[in-house]
Amino acid sequence: MKVKFKAFAQISMVALLLAACTANPDSSGLEYMPDMYRSPAIEPYVDYGEVRGQVNEDLKMQRSAMVPPKYTIPFWGTDSATVHTMLPYMRQPGSAFGQTHGLFFLDLSKNADVDYEYKAAAADKNPIKLVNAEQAEKVFEEAKKLYQTNCNHCHGEKGDGQGPMVASGAYAGVPAYSNLTIAEGQMFYSIYYGKGMMGSHASLVNKREIWTLIHYIKRFQDPNYGKFDDKGMLMSVGTKPASDTTAVKK
Amino acid sequence: MFRSIKQWFIGALSMYIGLSAFDVYAQDGEGLFKQKCATCHQPHKDGTGPKLFKVRDKWASGGAKDGSIYQWVANWSAAAASDPYAAKTSQLKATAMSQFPELAGKQKDIDAIFDYIDAQPDPAAAPAAGATGAAGMPTDGAEMEEEGSFSWIWIILGVVFVVIIMAVGGVRRQLNIATRVSEGKPANEHLSFSEEFKAWAWKYKRYVGIAGLVIVISLIVSLFLSLYSIGVVEEYQPSQPIAFPHDIHAGKNGIDCKYCHNSVGKSKSASLPTVNVCMNCHKQINGNTPEQQEQIKKIYDAAGWDGSNYTGKTKEIVWNKVHVLPDHVYFNHSQHVTVGGVDCKQCHGDMTKQNETARVVPVKELNEIEGNIPLTKATFTMGWCIECHAEKEISSGSLDTKGDGYYNEIHNRLLKDKKLYNSYLEDKKVSVKELGGWECAKCHY
Repeated sequence: MKVKFKAFAQISMVALLLAACTANPDSSGLEYMPDMYRSPAIEPYVDYGEVRGQVNEDLKMQRSAMVPPKYTIPFWGTDSATVHTMLPYMRQPGSAFGQTHGLFFLDLSKNADVDYEYKAAAADKNPIKLVNAEQAEKVFEEAKKLYQTNCNHCHGEKGDGQGPMVASGAYAGVPAYSNLTIAEGQMFYSIYYGKGMMGSHASLVNKREIWTLIHYIKRFQDPNYGKFDDKGMLMSVGTKPASDTTAVKK
Repeated sequence: MFRSIKQWFIGALSMYIGLSAFDVYAQDGEGLFKQKCATCHQPHKDGTGPKLFKVRDKWASGGAKDGSIYQWVANWSAAAASDPYAAKTSQLKATAMSQFPELAGKQKDIDAIFDYIDAQPDPAAAPAAGATGAAGMPTDGAEMEEEGSFSWIWIILGVVFVVIIMAVGGVRRQLNIATRVSEGKPANEHLSFSEEFKAWAWKYKRYVGIAGLVIVISLIVSLFLSLYSIGVVEEYQPSQPIAFPHDIHAGKNGIDCKYCHNSVGKSKSASLPTVNVCMNCHKQINGNTPEQQEQIKKIYDAAGWDGSNYTGKTKEIVWNKVHVLPDHVYFNHSQHVTVGGVDCKQCHGDMTKQNETARVVPVKELNEIEGNIPLTKATFTMGWCIECHAEKEISSGSLDTKGDGYYNEIHNRLLKDKKLYNSYLEDKKVSVKELGGWECAKCHY
């Protein structure tokens, strides 16, 4: 019996040493007190299939990203102007947007004209008004940062459709902003739901940020856009034709 | 007189029209294509609209009416109404084509566009010389195999070594017995290996003692070294469902980190990109090499994209978390990125050169990056955090206490504490530590 135990102990020691040689790449290594590391409270991107040694199949992570429950409205404080800007977008994606942009989880427009909502969006006006030079400066400053992060890699620093993605040859067919003749409400619609090759950016920039970006984009079309003259008045902007050649559809 | 003026006027007018028409005809097909068509059409690849290479031949052989393609370019719905082939074409894509009334009747312009398109070489047919990204994309499997075989070599070597030692020992024992027998002494065969070893150790007890001491000390040292490495996760790189090369995206294609890791400036978590963000580019980019195509196919499966349409059948992606902090530490990305103005590379390294999925970058590599605050403790340890809190300068300007903001309150406190104020006067810099960045409850609560 004693001999057996000795042999068993020796073999298990060797086995332990051998086990230490193989490394599991998905294990981050030893922790001092694992129960202080693994949170029983829910944290993003953490698999709760096993917490403190307890296996719970129901809580096993099924996906990394989730969509908020349908019709939930985020809380944006009590400032009525902000709340009004951040309310859910009233225009629906056109009926083809499921097929072309994968927006199946939204309520698609039931109108037979796939671009009915897009055409109607031409009437929407930017709720972020430029009132004086100082405020406009701030808007354009924030817009520049947003543009660098979210638009620059395709649309380019000068808005000419020659961003680093296009320059490297990876992507093609980005229009120059100066060629666009769409109304600002349609710009919003295109950023929010996507247009052509461009996907929906509603998950990346919120409504206030999109309207801020539209101010910045319009300056690519007209260098005087959003600038104030000596008398503190908005400089006149060369009005673009309101008709949209790309909007006329079936 | 009047008549001649009228004639002159008509002549001038017709010349003007002729010249302006010439002006339009002189426009090259390339310019027109890029201005009007390239947003949706490519010569060799289907996009929002179908590919246009040799489209005139395609229409002619498809049985389209003569000239209906020119009508289509200007006003596709009129062409679809008069030509059955055009009507069939209008069913191809869900997105309706734009109308170009300015091109109506301008057959030469449209031909110039098509001539330009037909002259474009097919990039897919060319040797995949441009496909540089593939080399930098080793699959996880190959790497793991390499690592595994490496440790197996050591195990085999160890076993061989032990066998040799035992064989030599056995031979020596046999020889000993043989010499004893030849010298006429008793063979001592009853002595076991261990008794023999004991006798040998007693004989050379000084050397055995020193060797034993060395072994014990080195074991203790290595034990403590390994204890220090507990909880250190440098080089941790878990397997991921998709082999994502950061260098191609953030480096070659110049995409901002914050485009995909979108909530980094707004929330506690930096967020992993959802598949719709991938599809913003990958709707068009499906990879140059088989390896790339295989990986991008996984995005298409997740998004439910069949190559030309979304099907609505989506799949889930489960990424493995790389940068895991213990539960007793609170870390907020937006606090560091938006308020503190810390660059991503300070903690995550230069991702424009990371050709694989993310990993915990060791502090040595972090220190080599330009603009980073050099630190000494291992990445993701508490020492590493507070070292940076002591170094990182929050504000180099004058201390403003006039406002009523959160930081003004802290500035006020800084001015009243003599010891803190003196340390501020020393370098005229306000570090995170001086604002309470070393207080336990800043991160542990």
